[in-house]
Amino acid sequence: MAFLDHAPDLEEIRRLLDERRPQRVGIVGQPPRAVIGELNGRAIEILDLDAILVREDMEATVAVLPRVYCAILRTVVLNAMHLDLDAIFIDTGPGKCDSARYVATILEELLPIPVLTTINLDQEPCGNPFCRANLDLTEKFLAITEGVKCARPVAANLDPCPPTAGFWGVPPRDFSILAPFPATTHVYGWTRCLENKTPADLALEIQVNRTIPTVFFAQSFCAKTALARHLAHRHPHALYLDIDLHTTSSAKAKVQAFLELSEVAP
Amino acid sequence: MILADFGTSYSKFLDLEERDPRPRILPTKELDRGLRVDLATGHNGKRFSARYVNELVALARGAEALISETSYLVLDCGSRDIKYIRYRDGKLLDMGWNAECGASMGFTIELLERYYNLDFQRLAVPEKTFSVTCGVLGISDIFDAITSGDGESVAVARFVKGIAVNAHRFAGSPEKLYLSGGLCDNPLFVKSFPCQVVPLGRFVLLSGLRRIADR
Repeated sequence: MAFLDHAPDLEEIRRLLDERRPQRVGIVGQPPRAVIGELNGRAIEILDLDAILVREDMEATVAVLPRVYCAILRTVVLNAMHLDLDAIFIDTGPGKCDSARYVATILEELLPIPVLTTINLDQEPCGNPFCRANLDLTEKFLAITEGVKCARPVAANLDPCPPTAGFWGVPPRDFSILAPFPATTHVYGWTRCLENKTPADLALEIQVNRTIPTVFFAQSFCAKTALARHLAHRHPHALYLDIDLHTTSSAKAKVQAFLELSEVAP
Repeated sequence: MILADFGTSYSKFLDLEERDPRPRILPTKELDRGLRVDLATGHNGKRFSARYVNELVALARGAEALISETSYLVLDCGSRDIKYIRYRDGKLLDMGWNAECGASMGFTIELLERYYNLDFQRLAVPEKTFSVTCGVLGISDIFDAITSGDGESVAVARFVKGIAVNAHRFAGSPEKLYLSGGLCDNPLFVKSFPCQVVPLGRFVLLSGLRRIADR
């Protein structure tokens, strides 16, 4: 069944779910809330293929993707190759990236399951309690990325804290880069859009706080490296950082030094 | 209290309990595995001390101790990597650490000096350069230049200039920079930068450790 000539509307998706009755689907990026709501309503298990879900050798993806490619999308392919899934929903367009569209094409040929593209243009804001909370930064990212699997906003009783540092960017493939940041770090960029459930909201994505030292992060080979570097150049107190598969010791040291020399309390 | 900067090729020590503390240098490959110091930095620092200072922090604190200006850029060119810190009006503005594409530049320069039996004190800065982004890959350019008729010393000098130009570009192409690291003693390298260079010597990170220890 070919779905890649168009992004199917909700009715088509419902028909597919009625016919196939999938138990376990993978998602890439943040498909529209209506689609996630449909999956939630049918109690279908959702796996976030952007996250590291299998401990397999990344070299396995070289047969289908260039080695020099976005580490998140290489992870998507690695997960898809090794997980037992009934369907995959890949968000493409302004809420994710063109590369995801091409990866969808590759996965459709590679896998015997339906691979559906979506274009998330949701505009209803759901808020950013985790992005602005006083909470360990890794915990914040875990909560935000977990929230992608649920159509409803995560019910979080969190008060916003005054920020002492900022982290701008997408959720990194390797969360270990988040460890040196204090709990009072506010999150910006596409991660903020994710929590807000408006991944195509460029106005929200480019928001920064010019009064706090901010790390502008992008995955190597991601189109967002251009935006990260541009915003970092315009910010008065910024560190631009792009990281590929793993956080190198020099990347960690750069973040540690940036925070320490900016007199950000641990 | 013994401070140490454990570099890839050389380790530098300072004993603050000596009457007139002066830095000492040892090749890192000759270090006793059981050696322990009180405060360390550098690529190998964590192996030899329970108290480790991030290299960029040590570089920044050393620059603060040695430079009287409040707006400056200090660039450290080591055996294995290059890193810089830029301050404006006493506040951190920018930093960078290139451990991958700047790989092994200092190490390769020293290797070439010995292999071709050259004296960098006497080599002139060449007009042309190589586009060198990695010490190891740059060696191919040397071989190609020699094959094309360049003398060994000219080919190596072009390589050294290429490294200086690349390091300058990595640091954001400043008009003036303070240079840290063992390559301060290499006049060919220092003169190859397309900007004003103020060499600070190879003990800047030790000065940073001392400043931290004194706090």
